[in-house]
Amino acid sequence: MATSVGTRPTTWDLLRTHGFERRDFLRFCAITTAAMGLDASFIPQVAHAFETKPRLPVLWLHGLECTCCSESFIRSSHPIAQDVILNMISLDYDETLQAAAGEQVEEIRRKMIAEHPGEYVLAVEGNAPTKDGGVYCTIAGETFEKVLLETAEHAKFVIAWGSCASNGCVQAASPNPTGAKPIHELVHGKPIVKVPGCPPIAEVMTGLLAHVLTFDRLPELDRVGRPKMFYGQRIHDKCYRRAFFDAGQFVERWDDDGARKGWCLYKMGCRGPTTYNSCSTIKWNGGVSFPIGSGHGCIGCSEANFWDDGPFYARLATTRLPGVETTPQAIGKVAATAAALGAAAHLVSFGAKQVLSRDTDKGSNHPDNPQR
Amino acid sequence: MNSTTRAPVAPRVTYERIYVWQWGVRAFHWINAAAISVLFATGLYIADPFLSANGEAYDVFVMARIRQIHFAAAFVFAVAFVWRMYFFWFGNRYARSGFPAVWKRKWWSDLVRQATDYLTLNVGHGHLGHNALAGLAYTLFVIGLGWCQILTGFALYSESNPGGFWDGLVGWVIPLCGGSLRTHMAHHLFAWGFVVFAIVHVYIVLLDSRQYRNGLIGSMITGFKFKPVERRDDDGAKP
Repeated sequence: MATSVGTRPTTWDLLRTHGFERRDFLRFCAITTAAMGLDASFIPQVAHAFETKPRLPVLWLHGLECTCCSESFIRSSHPIAQDVILNMISLDYDETLQAAAGEQVEEIRRKMIAEHPGEYVLAVEGNAPTKDGGVYCTIAGETFEKVLLETAEHAKFVIAWGSCASNGCVQAASPNPTGAKPIHELVHGKPIVKVPGCPPIAEVMTGLLAHVLTFDRLPELDRVGRPKMFYGQRIHDKCYRRAFFDAGQFVERWDDDGARKGWCLYKMGCRGPTTYNSCSTIKWNGGVSFPIGSGHGCIGCSEANFWDDGPFYARLATTRLPGVETTPQAIGKVAATAAALGAAAHLVSFGAKQVLSRDTDKGSNHPDNPQR
Repeated sequence: MNSTTRAPVAPRVTYERIYVWQWGVRAFHWINAAAISVLFATGLYIADPFLSANGEAYDVFVMARIRQIHFAAAFVFAVAFVWRMYFFWFGNRYARSGFPAVWKRKWWSDLVRQATDYLTLNVGHGHLGHNALAGLAYTLFVIGLGWCQILTGFALYSESNPGGFWDGLVGWVIPLCGGSLRTHMAHHLFAWGFVVFAIVHVYIVLLDSRQYRNGLIGSMITGFKFKPVERRDDDGAKP
């Protein structure tokens, strides 16, 4: 594989032409290794990969989306996006970042598909509308669905950036007017790694690319196809406010004493307990903060159906069931009341009948029905 | 009928004492009832923590303790569940009475008869084990809901230890339900099924024990039920 694209420069080649020293290169390798959550003993392996492997060709498609993934990506601090784009990967097509335009870039994409089948990585930001022939998102006169399938066919593997590509996100939320479908429902027979989040954390995005480049394979994925290294745990389990949850100290109103003391936001509808992401460990904007750190609950943006699963400021018990305009608690109370009323009605009728039939021969304990 | 010369005779009924519920079944019943009560009460608190703990977080541990009790009761519930399954297969015949044997005409006829008796307020006929309607209710509400709660509950429990034993065993339930949040919602909804069941169950037990006079309530403590035995009067006439 590497031999067929052997003419492409490696990361080390590129750094050297830019005037970087060996020491800078090794520093870059160490930072990248740390960003991937790997032991220092992996640094030689990472350095070896950057020295010998040609840069990974990436085709980055934009479908139905808001570009927040790209916005997040270019704010990556470790390793910074510039390093990733300029050194680690060869970003050959990206509507948002590319300088070229029009027929020229479409030609690059087609050329890459034709000349390097099975060698490039397809990164998809956004998803494809499928209703009415996919007319709701077109690129260079073709539907995005067609562009996606055409590019995915010869990709090495597919990265689904963000909640749009992974889960559908807002455009696929009920009633989904354009019939938007996440990538895994459209692309079949290719390894797909989901990087959900609206947007995903920048270091998660660059960390994934670094992992792929170093080890030449996808990281270990969980049951729904997310990298375990970033989506293995709930935000709740690493939250710095967890002690207040365990203590039973909750913010009840946005302006109460608990809010000032930084208590748990569970009762304010925080989705931390049901959301798998690294927000409470890696944090955002170079580790500055994350939603809960800023006093706002998590809205669960990296979970499937997060737009459809009730209001963001309500706890589970008061959240409406998806598709049913009522809460589990309300359904339960109505059912329990109905059962109690039914039993009471039966009791009254049964008692009345017993009293009325007392004159007749049939007593309640008459063994006129032999038992089995 | 020479009714003028004969004083009205009270029906003379004696009872045969029959061992119906084995000790394992009785133990299960009360352990299960206690576990469900604890699970429901603590579950309500976890869903809506209405108590507010004062003081510093290092002094109090309210939510964590309530969750601990919930998990402990869940393990008791699950073990009792397995225990009862053993008695279903290897217990006496009453331990599996009433089970929806949908392939048997006899089960269906008993179901229709029992339902009709309840609806038309007839006294009906007693059973030593479960009648078909009771068997159906236990299968749907205790076994069915029990499995739902065990699967969703342990899946949610597994979330705090990804890749652990419970994750491997029941972690697949979460994607099946459509994510963690929807698994929580399902767990909440199923919990209310037990409340509905408990209300109907207690009412029917009180009603049946009154109408059949077979020691239904006591049988779940002692294990013995009573079956009326017909006696003929001294003169050979039926009472």
